[in-house]
Amino acid sequence: MSWFDFSKLVAVTSLIFFGGGLIYHYYKTKQLRFPADFARPKGSYKIGVIYSFTIGMMPWVKESTRKHWIAYLRGVIFHIGIFIGIAVLILNLVRVNINSSFVKLFAIIVGLGAIMGFSGIFMRIFEKNLRKISTLDDFISVLLVSLFLTFVALSLVNLKFSSLMYFTSGLTFFYAPVGKIKHCLYFFFSRFFFGIHLGRRGIVHKYTEVLYGE
Amino acid sequence: MANNGVVNKVFEVLEKQLNQPLKTALEVCARCGICAESCHYYVSEPKLEHVPAYRAEQLRKIYRRKYNFLGKHFPSIVNAEELDEGKFDKLVEMAFSECTLCRRCTFNCPLGVDTPLVMRTIRAMATAAGKAPEILVMLADSAIAKGENPEIFKEMFIQQISELEKELKELTGNPHATIPVEKEGARVLYVGLAGAHTIIPPAVIFNEVGEDWTLSIYEAANYGVFLGDVERARKIAKRIIDEAKKLKVQEVVIAECGHACAALVWDAPNWFGETFPFRIRSIVELVAEYIQKGKLNLDPEANPEPVTYHDSCNLARTGGIFKEPRVILEAVVKDFREMNPNGIENYCCGGGGGLVALPEYYEKRMKAGKPKAEQIRKTGAKIVAAACENCKLQLGDLNNYYNLGVEVKGLVDLVANAILYKKKAKVILS
Repeated sequence: MSWFDFSKLVAVTSLIFFGGGLIYHYYKTKQLRFPADFARPKGSYKIGVIYSFTIGMMPWVKESTRKHWIAYLRGVIFHIGIFIGIAVLILNLVRVNINSSFVKLFAIIVGLGAIMGFSGIFMRIFEKNLRKISTLDDFISVLLVSLFLTFVALSLVNLKFSSLMYFTSGLTFFYAPVGKIKHCLYFFFSRFFFGIHLGRRGIVHKYTEVLYGE
Repeated sequence: MANNGVVNKVFEVLEKQLNQPLKTALEVCARCGICAESCHYYVSEPKLEHVPAYRAEQLRKIYRRKYNFLGKHFPSIVNAEELDEGKFDKLVEMAFSECTLCRRCTFNCPLGVDTPLVMRTIRAMATAAGKAPEILVMLADSAIAKGENPEIFKEMFIQQISELEKELKELTGNPHATIPVEKEGARVLYVGLAGAHTIIPPAVIFNEVGEDWTLSIYEAANYGVFLGDVERARKIAKRIIDEAKKLKVQEVVIAECGHACAALVWDAPNWFGETFPFRIRSIVELVAEYIQKGKLNLDPEANPEPVTYHDSCNLARTGGIFKEPRVILEAVVKDFREMNPNGIENYCCGGGGGLVALPEYYEKRMKAGKPKAEQIRKTGAKIVAAACENCKLQLGDLNNYYNLGVEVKGLVDLVANAILYKKKAKVILS
């Protein structure tokens, strides 16, 4: 087996492990009680959930993201980079050629994602409160993902980086289900529960109305 | 330091409470720290201990040691820690004195992390381990005792109400104005709080619209909620639920009280595992409905001074009641000024989560209320309206502490004032 094929095998195995890990966490969570709600609703939970995953994620909706929009934007670019990075990895593994007009665009987005990831590590080191609430897991997770994105971006520019992309993806996806990266699953649970709260209690109607003084 | 009895009890409660939302709240946080400035404690005193993510992390560390793969085998990677009694005491102090369960951090979190749920879990653990503040336990238990032996105080209560009824007749100039108690088949069961101030203004309103109502012999306050103790909270709520069922009312209306409203409207049906055969809502919602239906004849000239409104966290972020107060205020005051921010983004007054009842934390809650005090000052209002008893108490204290020079009133006080002004009767709220 060549070095390249071995790296590919590592990537495939890690992706299967990652998927299996998320399914495990999903079922472990679903096994727990989901508290039934007998209270008479003031609004529709469906509207709340839709809001929670759409408008509710917009930076202008929350005071925190309005104030810290640069940090939020950093996170958004990082995560967009991750989605595209994973898509590129999977397309490579199933030997689907990416249209040449998208290659550069994807390389830029994933590369930006990597930069945002590394800058996140620096933020954690230099911002006092952030450093103190961080765990080693936070640094490992962000570092692994940032390295993975770096090599995805480089492999889009030059195929000789493909083996490194596969190896770093292997490290990342083997670590993901045990570390903080599993929040990619709990994000959906969390926003879903928050959406139910917003919807059933009539906090969100068509959109959340916030009134401002002079 | 180690006390296995306490630690075992604490884990027993955690195990029992661990449902999908709690596990999610314990797993999802990415520790981005963006929640920091959403907390009024942090705004008034920006230190690490006041970052919501840090606070929730204190329970997560314990949780990870027991439930997480890395926490069990490589604890230093995820800062997992064994629990001992000393650490638990610190957790308890934090959960009861440094978080008012206002949900502002949840609303500001990109992931929607339910930090108040984590804090409520710590409170539940503390109560089960006998570490909750004694005053809260005592208040909850005395409410339960009252429900077990209502006959002891009922006669005296009815006598007091008949005195209030005389006062009501005088105020309204209406010899037929009444405060019915335990009237079977009434449409509305109104549940007040301790003190005539939560009975007279609503009575003025109910008599004005000709509502078919009756007064509950119980108080709406539920200290079991602050303890995170579902069993106590259920027993306290049961008194009112049973009374409403016995009287066959169509609607239970709660006095201006944020936590009582949240408890009875949103939690009680789940404690009992049933949808009640009557509607439960806040008096704020009912009065707003009266206004929208044109049932009340109000004159804003009765309240000419600038008024601002403080959104109770339990009413706005927990109960979705942030439009109704504005419907009321637009109808009864001449000069309404919004705080900034307001509605679901409003700052907690600092008295929530039962803090107002705990004198040992007076200084802490005054500090935590600083952002609210500044908000009020900026409006230039002379009256601060609020629809929550605990908020009103805290706002009154903030008024004295920060020399705000305002008067704190309830929404129903302003409505009753507008009714009485129109009638050219004596104004009760001077």
